[in-house]
Amino acid sequence: MDENTLKKLKEKCREMLKEDVEVIIVYTRKESEPKEILTVIESPDEIEKITLSPLSANNPAKHLIHELKNRSGKIGVVAKGCDSRAIKQLINEGKIDRERVHIIGISCPGIIDYRKLITKFKPSEVKKVTLSGDTVLVQTVNDEQRIPLDKLIYENCLYCTHPTPQEYDSLLGEVREGRRDFSDIEELEKMSQEERWNYWIGELEKCIRCFACRNACPFCYCTECLVDPTDLAISPMSPAEEKASYPRFLGKTVNAQDNLFYHLLRVIHHAGRCVGCGECERACPMDIPLRKLERKLEKEVIEVFGYIPDGDVPFLARLDILPEKETTSGR
Amino acid sequence: MSESCDRSNQLDQFEPKIIAFACNWCSYAGADLAGTSRIQYSPNVRIIRVMCSGMVNPAMILYAFRKGADGVVVAGCHPGDCHYNVGNYYAKKRIVLLKEMLDFIGFESDRLKLLWASAAEGKKFAEEMIDFVEKIRRLGPQKKMLSIPYRI
Repeated sequence: MDENTLKKLKEKCREMLKEDVEVIIVYTRKESEPKEILTVIESPDEIEKITLSPLSANNPAKHLIHELKNRSGKIGVVAKGCDSRAIKQLINEGKIDRERVHIIGISCPGIIDYRKLITKFKPSEVKKVTLSGDTVLVQTVNDEQRIPLDKLIYENCLYCTHPTPQEYDSLLGEVREGRRDFSDIEELEKMSQEERWNYWIGELEKCIRCFACRNACPFCYCTECLVDPTDLAISPMSPAEEKASYPRFLGKTVNAQDNLFYHLLRVIHHAGRCVGCGECERACPMDIPLRKLERKLEKEVIEVFGYIPDGDVPFLARLDILPEKETTSGR
Repeated sequence: MSESCDRSNQLDQFEPKIIAFACNWCSYAGADLAGTSRIQYSPNVRIIRVMCSGMVNPAMILYAFRKGADGVVVAGCHPGDCHYNVGNYYAKKRIVLLKEMLDFIGFESDRLKLLWASAAEGKKFAEEMIDFVEKIRRLGPQKKMLSIPYRI
């Protein structure tokens, strides 16, 4: 993600736009704060806007589905390791047509947690953030600071299994090795039942149920959601009694138990599908460790069922991997 | 001990509420067989008939807990015997994962049980239910998931 890769990326984009690719989904700098957003570029004039830095966090998979629906041509997309996993999973689920996508894979050293960055710097003063080796160079209005990447890295990136994309058409950057590590989950499992309950209730009490985690997740693409009764048809003619008796698992109230209900359901729908991009956690305004729930599920899928995520056959379609006992943990 | 005194003792005792989702083709018929063969089992169990154990959404189980159930049983056909071929395989995947997740967040996952009972196993159904009710009785009332904010 250094300057060199960015130069190569710009060249690649210029080439692609000359050829058969209609638009490319890339990262560009936001004007008011040191954040990067996903942008769709259509012409070679816009190529100079492209950025690629440790702040290029968001997952373009959701935008890709949207653009594929609205356009007829081929679409290029810049994808880090987790993004390419998401795209691959969506291809397996029939949401993305592989023929119409050109994936520019970026080998990713890990991205910066924006929340950690703004505790050290004033957002309005940060001019540019670049990476060279393991050091983050932050250029502010007055001076330039060097900070090790470990101090700013997004926690989720520490447990990345494949920092280098597995599914790509062209790859930029050197190949990196990842590994599966569940040490943080094991730490939580060592706590007693009451401690765990208090920990989770304490965390989930903060949830305001804005459903940002659901909207940001590339795999929550259902048009109608179980926890969202407003999608059901209500006409001016429907009587109050009918409206009141609509199936509704979850009320409008926000309390810890209802939040728990929602988060458990949301997580269970991602069994064997979650690719670990961390978009849910990044979207959460209340800073709830949602990835811990997802990672626990991933751990169980691997340990109890022996299913390795990112497989070609979806987890739910595999009927040959049932565990012998009801649970194997014996707890 | 007079009869009235005996009854007041019973009222003080905790009576668990158990919701059992029984599949239409095997477990419900099994429960029916238990009834027709006059096998007695605990009256704490409320059976809800569903078409297949595979349609029991984790939301339905959590909803039952939310509304004050002390235990939930999901009963279906033996693996390979499902009327819809694979419904119970899906059920098993869901329940196992839900149990693990419930355990992770600190809820007693023993309150949820997955049971295979065929239409001929009336006796087994009754015995398993008696066992489960005893287990829940030992665990005590379920308070964690109730609407009232609950902290230990």
